[in-house]
Amino acid sequence: MSNTTVKQKRTALKVVKSSKTLNVSSGVFRVNQSITKTINPSISGKSFSSASDSKVLDKSLAQTPKHTVQVFDEHGQDVTPHPLYNPDPGVLQPKQGKIFPAHDTSWTTMTDFPSVAFQTTNASFTGPFTKSFFGSVSASRTSQTTESVTDETKELLVKPDLSSSLSDVQARREEVKEQVREDIMDRVVDSYLTETETIWLLDIPAVSVSEDSGDAEAVKERNNAYTELCKNRHGNDKYVERSMQTFNDAPKTKEVQSDSITMVDKAVMSTTWDMYDSFCNKGDVSENTVVSAEGNKATVPDSSSMSHLLNPSGPDQSMSVFSTTSTVSGSSARLEKMTCVLPVEEEPDLELILQSDKFKQDLAVMERVVLANIFQPKLAAYRQLPVIEDPDCVQTQIEEESWTEQSKNSLSPFLEHLWVFKCELTKGRNVSSMTWNKKNPDLLAVGYGQLDFKDQKPGLVCCWSLKNPTWPDRIFHCESGVTALDFSACNANQLSVGLYDGTIAIYNVQTTEQTPIIDSSDCTNMHACPVWQLRWVDHDTGLAGEDKGEMLISVSGDGRISKWIHYKGLECVDLMKLKSPNMIVNNQRWNPKILSLAPGLCFDFHPNDSKIYLAGTEEGHIHKCSYSYNEQFLETYKAHTGPVYKVTWSPFCPDVFLSCSSDWTIYLWRQELSKPVLGFTSGQKVVFDIMWSPHCATVFGAVREGKVEIWDLRVSSLDPTIVSASSPGVNPTALLFTPETDCVLVGDSEGQVTVYKLKNLPAGDSTQVEVLEDVIQTTLSSQHTLGKTDRDA
Amino acid sequence: MLQAEVEETIKRIQSQKGVQGIIIVNAEGIPIKSTLDNSSTVQYAGNVHQLLMKARGMVRDIDPQNDLTFLRVRSKKNEIMIAPDKDYFLIVIQNPTE
Repeated sequence: MSNTTVKQKRTALKVVKSSKTLNVSSGVFRVNQSITKTINPSISGKSFSSASDSKVLDKSLAQTPKHTVQVFDEHGQDVTPHPLYNPDPGVLQPKQGKIFPAHDTSWTTMTDFPSVAFQTTNASFTGPFTKSFFGSVSASRTSQTTESVTDETKELLVKPDLSSSLSDVQARREEVKEQVREDIMDRVVDSYLTETETIWLLDIPAVSVSEDSGDAEAVKERNNAYTELCKNRHGNDKYVERSMQTFNDAPKTKEVQSDSITMVDKAVMSTTWDMYDSFCNKGDVSENTVVSAEGNKATVPDSSSMSHLLNPSGPDQSMSVFSTTSTVSGSSARLEKMTCVLPVEEEPDLELILQSDKFKQDLAVMERVVLANIFQPKLAAYRQLPVIEDPDCVQTQIEEESWTEQSKNSLSPFLEHLWVFKCELTKGRNVSSMTWNKKNPDLLAVGYGQLDFKDQKPGLVCCWSLKNPTWPDRIFHCESGVTALDFSACNANQLSVGLYDGTIAIYNVQTTEQTPIIDSSDCTNMHACPVWQLRWVDHDTGLAGEDKGEMLISVSGDGRISKWIHYKGLECVDLMKLKSPNMIVNNQRWNPKILSLAPGLCFDFHPNDSKIYLAGTEEGHIHKCSYSYNEQFLETYKAHTGPVYKVTWSPFCPDVFLSCSSDWTIYLWRQELSKPVLGFTSGQKVVFDIMWSPHCATVFGAVREGKVEIWDLRVSSLDPTIVSASSPGVNPTALLFTPETDCVLVGDSEGQVTVYKLKNLPAGDSTQVEVLEDVIQTTLSSQHTLGKTDRDA
Repeated sequence: MLQAEVEETIKRIQSQKGVQGIIIVNAEGIPIKSTLDNSSTVQYAGNVHQLLMKARGMVRDIDPQNDLTFLRVRSKKNEIMIAPDKDYFLIVIQNPTE
């Protein structure tokens, strides 16, 4: 029945035209009240009620009517705003109570089926009917036109139809739609804008309620009820625990490949010297950074990186020895020049190394070090250092024996043999003179030359250093035998050498050149006979005129004592001619016409007064002369019967001097006495050399043929304190005390210079000058008492 | 002539009491002259090189203007003496108590 009524109404409706909207669905809808499931149109309240089921109506109450409003502007274009929600047409609304939002519907055929037959003009619905049926929407339906009411009523009858015959409906709708569009094009349409109800997008209800609000009580009650419920829940049968299992989805492995991260270790050690080198070489490295091609393998990869990298690898380079020269440089320098130049000489030549000066120096040092190891105990003894035994040293049997021997004699004075200066060169030569360097107490000059007129061969001067007893530091070959030596005090490097042929040469020992600085061979006044003694004398006692400074004085076999001046060559001035006073001809004491000069063998200047000097002659006389007066001697001391080989002033007692001669005697003189105070003889041997000890006033040494004697006047004036016999066939010929230590050097006829240490000599606090004086006094007094003294004028 | 002198000096050192060997090593650590057998030479050269670097580094670390001039290593059996230089180093091994 309802259907029929619907149909009737439908025809009357002419939905197509009258409807203000292109609501296709209008023509389609049929009320199907029998189908409660349809989505209904709450709208058509009237028809519902009229038709039959109020159920539908009731249910439709909950629905909010949504009316499609189609807006057309002046030109007839549809500018209806789209609704926010388009329900899926295929989805059947499960409940009737569901709210239909929109039905824009009109031209979307899809959505229209379920959508309600809400037709266009809401206004039409909202008439008196709506109020009863649509609670919420009442307000929006106010605007109505009377016209539309009538239409609406008609339209009200139109119900959406969700009958099974959807397909039919659809087809019809489409047809209707087309028709509608064509017709309505020119038509003036009124449009009414109404406000839609509020669309709730998000609704978070409040969690807490203010106590002042009206609901507070209700809320509290509910809360309390809930807590009680919770309490009761435990163990309550009403509540059952139940667990659920979630299903884990099957995992899937997925492989990903990425580039491997290369790790490089980089280390730099910055050291103080490294940074210092960089600073110093910063300016130098403009062109090259020298990288050695060979060498430590570790630095090779660094070198390659160095060429394009900057600093950080630099310090690595400097670790190796060869690159300390110039590789390290500041980064700025590297920036400028990236070139790496390989060293020119990949293997520095053996030749180059061997010829470099530095290498020779190093060799010399090394030699000394090696020798120091060997001679260490001896040198320590020499220098009066405690001799420490090497703990790793294994003493051989022989050494032990020699030690024990000497230890037996430890109480009596003896000469301890330390070492010998000798080498191949000096073998067989006679040591004629020795002297210490004034500046370097370790440097010893030894002259080798025959003292006899026979067996003359080229002489040799060797400068030995204490640090190397096996090879001299300097070797000077001379044409004839060396007979005298002296080092200059002012210029410590000048060594004056007197030769057998009368030549005087001055050598510079700083160089190894064989030629002397100056030679007296050009001098017209040169000595014609061997120069027996040379001395550099320092005339610092303010002589007027030109004679200041140091001068070289020589005495030679031609009877002259000469002073040599270094002025465009050696020039000499005679200080004294050693006239032989025994030339008495015709009862005249002195015949000036025949001047024969006695060969001078030695001289010595007074240590305090450099104007006075003593000269010893071959005749056995000792003359005291004055520097400024070269005509006559001040005094003559006659006692010796043979050539006086040596005369020396005592370094401690100003008036005492010693003389030795080939008449087997040594005499001790006082300056004012013309007779010797003491005479020392031991055996019938020629005394070649004597010397006062520089340490003790009462000690002097003497060298006789075949033995070395050390006399100590404190102990005895009759016998030498120490007598050391030399090897048979070897005659000691020279004696030298060391100025610093208590050693004595003895040169012999075999070219050896032996160093002895004086052991167990009675030591004294002072220089024992008083003792010497006492000795002399007692001797003199005893002489007086003995008999008349024989004095010469 | 200079070389003869140098050779002579080397011979003299060699003939001193207790000297076991002389080795001359160039800047790269390669021995260029030696009086010992090859294996010992190489051993000495390599080890001394390292020690030299350490010693030199230490000396210069304390004062960069200073430099190492001589190094002596005394052991129970012998003494190793090293004279270093920029281009070479000279090693002498001696047993002075022989």
